[in-house]
Amino acid sequence: MKNEQFNNRDVSDSYFLVDIPDYPTDGWGKFTRVVKRTFRGELFVGLWVVLREMIKFDIHTVQYPLEKMPIGPRYRAVHEMKRLWESGTERCIGCGLCEKICISNCIQMDTKIDENSRKEVSEYSINLGRCIFCGYCAEVCPELAITHGGRYENGSEQREHFVMYEDMLTPIDALKAGKQLEFEGFGAITPHEDERVKKTPLSY
Amino acid sequence: MNNLINFKIDGISVEAKKGETILTVARRHDIYIPTMCYISKTTPCASCRMCVVEAKGVEGFVLSCNTPPTQGIEITTNTAELEKERTNIMKLYDVNHPLECGVCDKSGECDLQNKTLEFGVSSQNFTARDQSRKIEDWGLISYDPSLCILCEKCVHVCNEVIGDDAIDVKFGGYSSTIIPKNADTLDCTFCGECIAVCPVGALISSDFKYSANAWELTSIPATCAHCSAGCPLEYETKYSGIDNGSESIFRVKNNFEFTSLCGAGRFGFDFDNHAPKSENAFTNAVTAVKGAKAIRFSSMITNEEAHTLELLKEKLGIKLFNEDARKFQDFMNSYSSISGKKHHSGSLDAIKQADAVIVIGSRISTDNPGVRYAITTARKHNGAKIVYAHPIEDTLLKNTATQFLKYEVGTEEGVLALIADAILKEADLSDRERAFFNDLDLGYLAAESNIGDEEIALMMKSFARAKNKVLVVGNDLMAHERSRNIAKLSAMIEKYSPFSLVVIPSEVNTLGVSLINSLDVDEEMADNVVGYNEKGNFVISSLEFANLSIPSLNQQEGTFVSIDNRVLPTNVALSFDGYTLNDIALACGVKTKNTVEYTKMLSSASGFKNREFDSLENFLSPYGDDNRGYLLDEVTCAMNGELEEIGDLPEFNGTVIYHSNPVLQFNAYTNKTKQLEKDNTLKGSAQFAAAARISDGDKIEISFGSRVIQREFKLDNSLKGTVALNPTFDNRVDASRYRFEKSKIVRVIHE
Repeated sequence: MKNEQFNNRDVSDSYFLVDIPDYPTDGWGKFTRVVKRTFRGELFVGLWVVLREMIKFDIHTVQYPLEKMPIGPRYRAVHEMKRLWESGTERCIGCGLCEKICISNCIQMDTKIDENSRKEVSEYSINLGRCIFCGYCAEVCPELAITHGGRYENGSEQREHFVMYEDMLTPIDALKAGKQLEFEGFGAITPHEDERVKKTPLSY
Repeated sequence: MNNLINFKIDGISVEAKKGETILTVARRHDIYIPTMCYISKTTPCASCRMCVVEAKGVEGFVLSCNTPPTQGIEITTNTAELEKERTNIMKLYDVNHPLECGVCDKSGECDLQNKTLEFGVSSQNFTARDQSRKIEDWGLISYDPSLCILCEKCVHVCNEVIGDDAIDVKFGGYSSTIIPKNADTLDCTFCGECIAVCPVGALISSDFKYSANAWELTSIPATCAHCSAGCPLEYETKYSGIDNGSESIFRVKNNFEFTSLCGAGRFGFDFDNHAPKSENAFTNAVTAVKGAKAIRFSSMITNEEAHTLELLKEKLGIKLFNEDARKFQDFMNSYSSISGKKHHSGSLDAIKQADAVIVIGSRISTDNPGVRYAITTARKHNGAKIVYAHPIEDTLLKNTATQFLKYEVGTEEGVLALIADAILKEADLSDRERAFFNDLDLGYLAAESNIGDEEIALMMKSFARAKNKVLVVGNDLMAHERSRNIAKLSAMIEKYSPFSLVVIPSEVNTLGVSLINSLDVDEEMADNVVGYNEKGNFVISSLEFANLSIPSLNQQEGTFVSIDNRVLPTNVALSFDGYTLNDIALACGVKTKNTVEYTKMLSSASGFKNREFDSLENFLSPYGDDNRGYLLDEVTCAMNGELEEIGDLPEFNGTVIYHSNPVLQFNAYTNKTKQLEKDNTLKGSAQFAAAARISDGDKIEISFGSRVIQREFKLDNSLKGTVALNPTFDNRVDASRYRFEKSKIVRVIHE
């Protein structure tokens, strides 16, 4: 093993400044900025579009948020954690592949051994503030446990709301009512998968 | 005569030395032969049969791992038949192997996984009725028989390298498993080598199990900071948990193919210091150091810290106390005055290759497991004769030692004189030296030390045909009040006989400190002593109850000097937010930016090579060559020493205590770790209990001179005689004194 990575002993923060021109400081500069912004006219372009559509009375927009457009089953919005149909237990086995493949490093999990000597996921979090919804986690998941869902509204007052595992997990009553939807995007099982499964010979 | 065997592998002409097998030669020439059960440091297990090759003119396949080549033979490593044979073996390995790679701890670094993919085994063609197999919990180690592929690596390592011989294969066809040998549960020293060599997830650290995946861990190459063997290891770190973003060490791995690690190194990794940063404490520390008369420090520090302390000594005119290193220094100086060399000639590798070893003055299996493993290797692989000389028998060496020389406590000087006399009978000594041996009162020495002529004669007879001999001397000799003469006797043996010498430094970097620092005799001053990882009026330490906290050895970079005289680098596994010795030195006017800048300034008069820290490598090559750090240069010294007459051999009667740690415990750092067992009871035999009038489980008070400590007594049936073992890892007694002590033992009566 090489040691190069240990040779950089610079521990200062690696922030850098973005190249933005300085704000005007003198009076004249500030005055011209105000004048430019005020009379740029862009405002009226937008206002005219709204006015034009309004007086036509021919509205095609959806009455969001009262009304929502249907989205495709392969749409990649906020993740869902699925349960097994038969037993209702969580599908996630804690293999850590989603954590590994995540290119924005937003998935973390803690695993431990449970009382039955099985691997148990004690904590699981997806930082949706960082997530780029690439879908790799759903694709790599061997258990079809983590998938994407259709909930694309991410507004919240607190960042912590983005990482609630419980919100992603299928509620048990929804599962019992048969309302858990299988994801059809990348990583989902392909049609005729059953025919391709090779069975272990049991002819002893 | 040419001892090399010329032959061909896949058309390439290669040469084999005597004792090499086809596989080792092929590996040396980068020719790939797949194996599942082969491990370089043991004799071939020959259980997997993956390494089969074809030899021209030989019918059938040949096992390359245990077949030596013959002159002119032509070996083929890869044909369609071989491929088919190997694929079939892999298919058999995969029969009913649980498809739990998703959760298995070994996933990502599993030999079975790799080879299954390599041979493209994608379905199960064979059938066998699966069995119910229970996961066994053996304490620090747990065993899942359904994952086990019966490669037997663990059994071989345990028997041939470690010497515990604690596990065995229970043969029974498809129901074969690994079982604790002759016991219900695993009773061993818990070195964890079996975990390291296990190619699948069958043997796993119970603590690590299911806590992280192999690919999430960052590997940091380092050097073990528990004893002077300086074993290479890798700390594997990851964020502690979702709620805690700071890193922590999850496990320790080692290059098990060529090196070994004891349980303290493998399981005792969490000795890092997490005390909060305090500017106040730092200011106080600087004031304390500036106003100090002396700094007392332990040898659990890096060479660079030792150098900083030395610079502080020069700058501030203070004294440096470190009794452990001072005694070692004293011993080595006396040694040099006879041998003319600064460093001892032996090394762990020399022990591994030896066919005759004498170990004296150390309870080796607990003092320095690295030496024990080297001795075991020599015993099992070379059939070496191992003579273990000590007042207390050690059951851990029962499979290793061929002769036990039991001498009386305190008579080390006499014993070594007897041994030297026997070894140097025929040696070409100077007249004065010969006169010394002629003047020895052998009868007195033999009587006082209780070592008979016939024992020495037996030892010499067993060594008669040995070529590579090593004398290993331990801490009992260095801390002995006659240590100077003992050192000279050891030097005589090394100088005039084929024996090489290994002196075991008692702490991690005792050797390094002894080479770097000029040490003063500890005067036990009442005040103005700053303790650096040691007791003092102001304590700067990486342990608990420090006035200023500093990073532990797994949070520091720097170098150690190991028992092999090798300068070994270690790296920062975990960060530490706070101050280091270098910051204090800076405040006191010793200028440098990073502590590791001192690596190149270490004194070449002591053999250091003036190399930059960043230029030091820390890895073993795929062929097992040690590329870690560098070896100290040999330094010649003046040969002005004279042997002194052997002093009166002291007598130790009554209840004698031997300061000796239990297995896997070395010092306050191993005491801090979560997994290692912390048994700080006084252990003694039934005979000792009778002599001290105590019984199992008694709370007792032990007094040596003015010092009194309290312990619980535990009867240990594996011990004999009237010497009891008192642990030092909990820092209740100073470990640098002569380790045998007369004591008074009183039972504490409970109301």
